[in-house]
Amino acid sequence: MDARHTFDFLTNPERFMAFSRWAAPWLGALSALAGIAGLVMTFLVPEDYQQGDTVRMMFIHIPAASLAIFIYVCLGAASFLALVFRQALADLAAQACAPIGAAYTALALITGSLWGKPMWGAWWVWDARLTSVLVLLLFYLGYMALRGALEDEQKAARAAAILALVGLINLPIVKFSVEWWNTLHQGSSTFMAKDGDGLPAIYAWPAALMGLAYLGGFGALWLVRIRGLVWRRKARSLAMKLAEGAR
Amino acid sequence: MSFDFDAGKYAVYLWPAFAISAAAFAWMIADSLLTTRRWKREAERLQAELDEAGE
Repeated sequence: MDARHTFDFLTNPERFMAFSRWAAPWLGALSALAGIAGLVMTFLVPEDYQQGDTVRMMFIHIPAASLAIFIYVCLGAASFLALVFRQALADLAAQACAPIGAAYTALALITGSLWGKPMWGAWWVWDARLTSVLVLLLFYLGYMALRGALEDEQKAARAAAILALVGLINLPIVKFSVEWWNTLHQGSSTFMAKDGDGLPAIYAWPAALMGLAYLGGFGALWLVRIRGLVWRRKARSLAMKLAEGAR
Repeated sequence: MSFDFDAGKYAVYLWPAFAISAAAFAWMIADSLLTTRRWKREAERLQAELDEAGE
């Protein structure tokens, strides 16, 4: 295969539709299987000696929080490709991942709050980690609001892409907030934890499986939503052709 | 090893977190599939209309 065409399925709408038609169900199935296995393990592992049963919250909170950041990286990369290289499919990819990212971020905040109350004694604190994740949610919502607010779709896409790129500045703040500032939120305890702070092996499996489920779920939903936007663009173009023909 | 569904005094925090997460995924899946299906049908309907007009 010509190397120039290796990534055609990501730039050519027709090839993307053919690729996503089989990739989305496979990713969805992978996500469902990992989710079922992860949930089974979530309720099989023993409770933590300090956190009790609330430790099970970790298996839905950490994947949501990690994916909230990862999806924003995807949003930023797609926005960059759309803005600089005028890739129409990249613009649709950016548009498609914003609502999923917003949902994952909201889930991270809600599950974190439900974990924080019994552990910290507060639903919310203006801690650097929590605040920067709230700012991340506002960037997602701002992106979606901006796309919906401007009537000219091209102008809306351009303005929203610029906002998405500005929002990338927030990502290192989210990631390193627990190291840069003295926060109530704990530091990393998963795969990037410092020596001695890592998860016990018994908790690592459900954490990894739920992480895979959330990642696969994002992949499948992202592809399905991009497909929806490709169909919408086609419908609008056909409607214009029909209107021109009727004149 | 057996299943432990008894979260004791933490049940009031644990179960809403799982319920909200499940509801969010159900909404995301339904919204993504239904919206995509709607636009696909609309595009197919318009294409058929255009083909008919061209004949």
